[in-house]
Amino acid sequence: MVELINCVIPEHPEDYHNVFVYIEHKNGRISRGALEMLGKARELAQKLGEKAVGVAVGKNLKDIASEAESYGCDLFLGAEVTDFTGFSSVAYTEFIASFVEEHKPNIFLISGSREGRDLVSRIAIRCRTGVAADCIELDVDVPNRLLIAWRPSFGDKTIDQILCKRHRPQMITSRPGSYKMPEKIEKHTCEVKIKKVKMAKYAGEHRTLEFKQKDRLDLTSAKIIVSGGLGLGNASGFKLVKDLADSLGGQVGASRPVVDLGWIPYEHQVGQTGQTVRPKLYIAAGISGKIQHIVGMKASETIISINTDPEAPIVKFSDYFINADASKALPRLTEEIKKVIAGTPASSPG
Amino acid sequence: MIILMKQVPDAEEIFIDPVKFTLNRSQARGIINPSDENALEAALKIKDSEGGEITVISMGPPQAENAILECMGRGADRGILITDRVFAAADTYATSLTIAAAVKKVGDFDIIFAGESTTDSGTGHVGPGVAEFLGIDQVTYTVSSRIEAGMLIAERELEDGIEVVSTKPPVLVTVLINANLPRRSRLRLKIDAIKKGVEKWDHDSLNLPPEWVGIKGSPTLVGALKIPEERKRESRPIKLDEIPVLVQDLVKKGIIRTGDEA
Ligand SMILES: Cc1cc2nc3c(=O)[nH]c(=O)nc-3n(C[C@H](O)[C@H](O)[C@H](O)COP(=O)(O)OP(=O)(O)OC[C@H]3O[C@@H](n4cnc5c(N)ncnc54)[C@H](O)[C@@H]3O)c2cc1C
Ligand SMILES: Nc1ncnc2c1ncn2[C@@H]1O[C@H](COP(=O)(O)O)[C@@H](O)[C@H]1O
Repeated sequence: MVELINCVIPEHPEDYHNVFVYIEHKNGRISRGALEMLGKARELAQKLGEKAVGVAVGKNLKDIASEAESYGCDLFLGAEVTDFTGFSSVAYTEFIASFVEEHKPNIFLISGSREGRDLVSRIAIRCRTGVAADCIELDVDVPNRLLIAWRPSFGDKTIDQILCKRHRPQMITSRPGSYKMPEKIEKHTCEVKIKKVKMAKYAGEHRTLEFKQKDRLDLTSAKIIVSGGLGLGNASGFKLVKDLADSLGGQVGASRPVVDLGWIPYEHQVGQTGQTVRPKLYIAAGISGKIQHIVGMKASETIISINTDPEAPIVKFSDYFINADASKALPRLTEEIKKVIAGTPASSPG
Repeated sequence: MIILMKQVPDAEEIFIDPVKFTLNRSQARGIINPSDENALEAALKIKDSEGGEITVISMGPPQAENAILECMGRGADRGILITDRVFAAADTYATSLTIAAAVKKVGDFDIIFAGESTTDSGTGHVGPGVAEFLGIDQVTYTVSSRIEAGMLIAERELEDGIEVVSTKPPVLVTVLINANLPRRSRLRLKIDAIKKGVEKWDHDSLNLPPEWVGIKGSPTLVGALKIPEERKRESRPIKLDEIPVLVQDLVKKGIIRTGDEA
């Protein structure tokens, strides 16, 4: 058992150097979120005159190391698993924390993917330090080598600056998609150190029995989303939403009550307890615009709402408001869009 | 079994104090954090089939007692509220430590269920943090869990598929919001719960020195706040026969590509 222990302040924080980044990978490729973090790690390391250090656990790490190299990783530390496949938080924490102990990084960035969020808290506690989660902006106070992390608070009402002044490493996560993909770098060389490890020693009886590949509907990267709410009247109302989404090459979203009613699966839910989306175009049909829905879509570039109630809260979050019955407005939009895409001149005064 | 539950404010009723720039939570109605309802339901399902007792542990202000009673009304057997002024402003390190101390004091458990994340800070760090302090295994993002021959079998929902995992308790399991449909409380159970009452523990009863908890025991701190500028939108009214105008606007904005360009 790990003892309950206060977050001990390291005696020599000045001994902590370089920027660690957790290199998550699947099927022989570094995941998108980890590449974004590697880009950030490089940026911070350059400002500090230090190294961007990738740490990875798993199999075939040589290939992962060479991909990391092409994105500017200076040092790659790998724990090559030689026994069984699968994931174990306890074992991964052990391997990663041992790299931290040995190399004493000042900063440690981990993508806020499901794997990253599973691991980060354990690693931080093992290393007796704190984490700022879901950061959207990172900067560094160079003279003090202090990481300045910003994260949105509850309901995005404020953006909070999170500091970890005395503990090391200073750890943060950011959700995948928070930063631009970094550019590849020609002729960069990365020192690669891979050690062999065994999961069985730490994983106990934890085993992966099976993996059923199935891509989850990812609304967060959709360019266009058409969402429906209770105002559609019934489950078949979603047919009209789907038709419009199809005509635009977009995805279908939904408010929570229609998911609860079983009109559409949960993976389509937008909002506080669903997905947070930021498409170029968001169309909300028959959705009132309660705050729990708004927080999930208000960052959309253009918002169109369709509602019979001109007083609905969604209206003030909309660029365009169609005050009409969704069963009339949706097919009209679909028809017009199909015409325009087909190249027929619009039958309008505009 | 133990479930970790936090009472969170209902988002609708949160507002910012215009003078002090702080979130005013005291005015917000408290609800059970959504995924904690699913964590409780996952535990109740196991209790239905295998038996066992469920203890709810929650750290929060005295009002959080209501949320604990609600959990007991759904079938939890025992409620513990960890409440003490010195716990205020804890980050996830100090929160995990405090909750882990309470779990140790409860002692006897095989599975701890936690929600995947809370809606008010939403880090999802506390479940794994508690597991780390206790030195036990964890299975996160579950959509189903059951006991088979003394092993926990659970399905984890990841970005690219479902991982089926088997492990031996003790283990901490975090539960996703789409894992199940939480049951409602029953009046009779609720009355029993009120009679039974909720135990209240402070830092003394947990043997935790005050400098290990709350703001003092937290490695991270909030340095400053920015209030993001809300984007003002035009809310331009569009009549049904003006839809072609709207669609032309979308073309101009480059959102829709016309046949001419294709
Ligand atoms: C903890 C918590 C978490 C939550 N998380 C989420 C979340 O993630 N996502 C989410 O969406 N909600 C969430 N909710 C629920 C949220 O509070 C609202 O209840 C929900 O968003 C309302 O859904 P709605 O707009 O579809 O329904 P309603 O609020 O009932 O609105 C229906 C709208 O349709 C309009 N309408 C009626 N007839 C027509 C018609 N013929 N044509 C056009 N318009 C019509 C009405 O004027 C009305 O504005 C959450 C709530 C809680 C407490
Ligand atoms: N104050 C608390 N009291 C009890 N459980 C908590 C508390 N904070 C977090 N948890 C548990 O940890 C989970 C993740 O919380 P968070 O890390 O805040 O997103 C929640 O769903 C709860 O199950």
